[in-house]
Amino acid sequence: MPVDQQRLHRVLNPKTIVVVGDKGPNYQWLTNQKEFPGELYSVQVDENEIKGIEELGFRNFKSLAEIPGEIDLLICAVPRQVVPRIVKDAVARNIGGIAMYTAGFAETQEELGIQLQDQIVQMANEVGMPIVGPNCMGIYNRRLGIRFGAEMIHAEGGNIGVMSQSGSHAGGITNEAQYVGLEVTRTISMGNAAILNEADYIEYLADDPDTKYIAIYIEGPRDGRRFFDKLREVTKVKPVVIFKGGTTENGASAARTHTTSLATPTALWEAMVRQAGAIPVVSRDELIDTLAALVRIPPPSGRRMALLAGSGGQSVAISDSAGRAGLNMPRLSAESYESLKGFFNTIGGSYFNPFDMGGTIGGNSVRGQESNLQKILDILSADGNLDAAIYELGAGGGPNRDPERQTRMLDTIDAWRDGSWKKPLLMVVHPGTNAETYNETRSALIKRGYPVYPSFERAAHAFNRVERYWTNRHERGG
Amino acid sequence: MPDPIAAARAAGRTLLTEVESKELLASVGIPVTPTRLATSADEAAKVAAEIGFPVVLKVLSGDISHKSDVGGVELGLADAAAVHAAYDRIMASVKQASPGAKVDGVSVQPMAKQGIEVIVGMTTDPQFGPVMMFGLGGIMVEVLKDVAFRIVPLEPRDAKQLVREIKGYPVLEGVRGRPGADIAALESFVLKVSEFAAAHPEVQEIDLNPVFAYPDGALGVDARVVLAPVS
Repeated sequence: MPVDQQRLHRVLNPKTIVVVGDKGPNYQWLTNQKEFPGELYSVQVDENEIKGIEELGFRNFKSLAEIPGEIDLLICAVPRQVVPRIVKDAVARNIGGIAMYTAGFAETQEELGIQLQDQIVQMANEVGMPIVGPNCMGIYNRRLGIRFGAEMIHAEGGNIGVMSQSGSHAGGITNEAQYVGLEVTRTISMGNAAILNEADYIEYLADDPDTKYIAIYIEGPRDGRRFFDKLREVTKVKPVVIFKGGTTENGASAARTHTTSLATPTALWEAMVRQAGAIPVVSRDELIDTLAALVRIPPPSGRRMALLAGSGGQSVAISDSAGRAGLNMPRLSAESYESLKGFFNTIGGSYFNPFDMGGTIGGNSVRGQESNLQKILDILSADGNLDAAIYELGAGGGPNRDPERQTRMLDTIDAWRDGSWKKPLLMVVHPGTNAETYNETRSALIKRGYPVYPSFERAAHAFNRVERYWTNRHERGG
Repeated sequence: MPDPIAAARAAGRTLLTEVESKELLASVGIPVTPTRLATSADEAAKVAAEIGFPVVLKVLSGDISHKSDVGGVELGLADAAAVHAAYDRIMASVKQASPGAKVDGVSVQPMAKQGIEVIVGMTTDPQFGPVMMFGLGGIMVEVLKDVAFRIVPLEPRDAKQLVREIKGYPVLEGVRGRPGADIAALESFVLKVSEFAAAHPEVQEIDLNPVFAYPDGALGVDARVVLAPVS
């Protein structure tokens, strides 16, 4: 039966949470929700555990029935044998829905697990109760501080919705995205997707005004056709990045060539993602890289890329990276070269594309004039042959390190990005020289709103995926 | 002739013969070689004379999926005598290679002018339902599996991408002075098969292999339609 999206909304944005069956010594499910601004209760019958729960300041009840008022979300952490009773109580109490951390169901492929899961599914479906999981990490909600890990950020904002079939990727994607300055509104760990599946969740995220971008980790779809139909619609208004796990084919191809024998799950999945207009990626790094570019650069007007190396650029390698990602590196206009000729230091540098600017704008080891950076940037803005730029910034790990100079340069670049440039600008900082300055530089760039990459290669590929998405969306009238 | 799907169902078959398959596909405007049934050597020769030589004979049996594997295909038959002899050869070799098969006769069709071989297919996936496949035919599909897929129903832009997605696409554009294929005709061909599949959920598989792609148009020269088992 199709899920009631309004009821799911209540579960994902609760006012009251009950944690059932949390255990010491950490009481992780209760403590992770300690910043939740609504009502938070515990249900536990074990006297020893009750003592620990109350010592931490949480209010415990012996049963769901005793809790006053409405319950929107139940976080279920009881052993699997107890789960049917909890679901029964939840149905009787008419709560919103359940995030079921408890594992040991159909994923075990054992009779008992399968039987228990069937029992839960039947009870929930009878009354249309949404259950996230089982065998999952539940939900994360940035603004409400609903978390499944103590390290997860509780803050305002958020524009990314994450859904993941793996609990570990659910946490990993969320935390890594926020670590590069992105804001994840909510994360859903789908687990066994016994009641709600990927099609229900993408339908929810499609309509969620606080989700502008969607990131998905999935292994095997439960309702592929409905997922495809929803996905094809949502990509016209929200970019969707999909990381598919488990694409290794088993089963040798049949000797004869038939459409059926050629239609392997991987081939069909890849075709489906392309047809639906989503962005396929093959790793968590690619997923985060792509999200960063989606959120932090404006939709590109094309694939003509200026490659700027601020510190001894490896021009050939950089060009190769961009070429492999299918980007163009155009020559600039004659006027631009005329202007550059006046001041660009071509000894050990180059103002063809890629630009090797080290000797012209100065750096740690080479004398040059800081003011030349502004001149170069102005020329790029005035040039009609460019759609985007990737800028490699030296992390300045050497003995002549000058943090103030770096700050001035970044101020110049920021002003250019927001002023006359207004086109995609991606930043590269190599982790090469010094861990401390690398982290400082990287953090500074993240704070200044850039998508930041550890290599040209990754920046170029992220840009390529994002540019293709926008072009495709534009062609589809989205 | 009765509705081929109803006829196959009535006979308890899920595999349509080539004649039935082509009739069904031709009825919705998918271009295929006109193909007729003959149940004797004399009738085959007579039909061949009517449609014009040279012709092709293929064994017609609901039990045989891969006709050339059992010696069931004879190409380029130029006159009545050749058709007679070919009919007898087919019957003899099929009987030997596939003794249990119920043979209805042969299909007779004009020998189509050679074009670039492509394959157009449909299969029903348990997750996604009907999906279309497109690829270059012959060795390209057998060895390199250079095919692409789209989920039914296809929009025109899906067909456009499908045809262009295969690695061998430049072959269709024409290489080294060889004429290219009519790409628009291939897109339209794929879209028609997609429409047919969408309208016939009881059809589980379609293989049009090969389809000849010409500088003007495309023509399915063999066709195989498989129905879903009755549930």
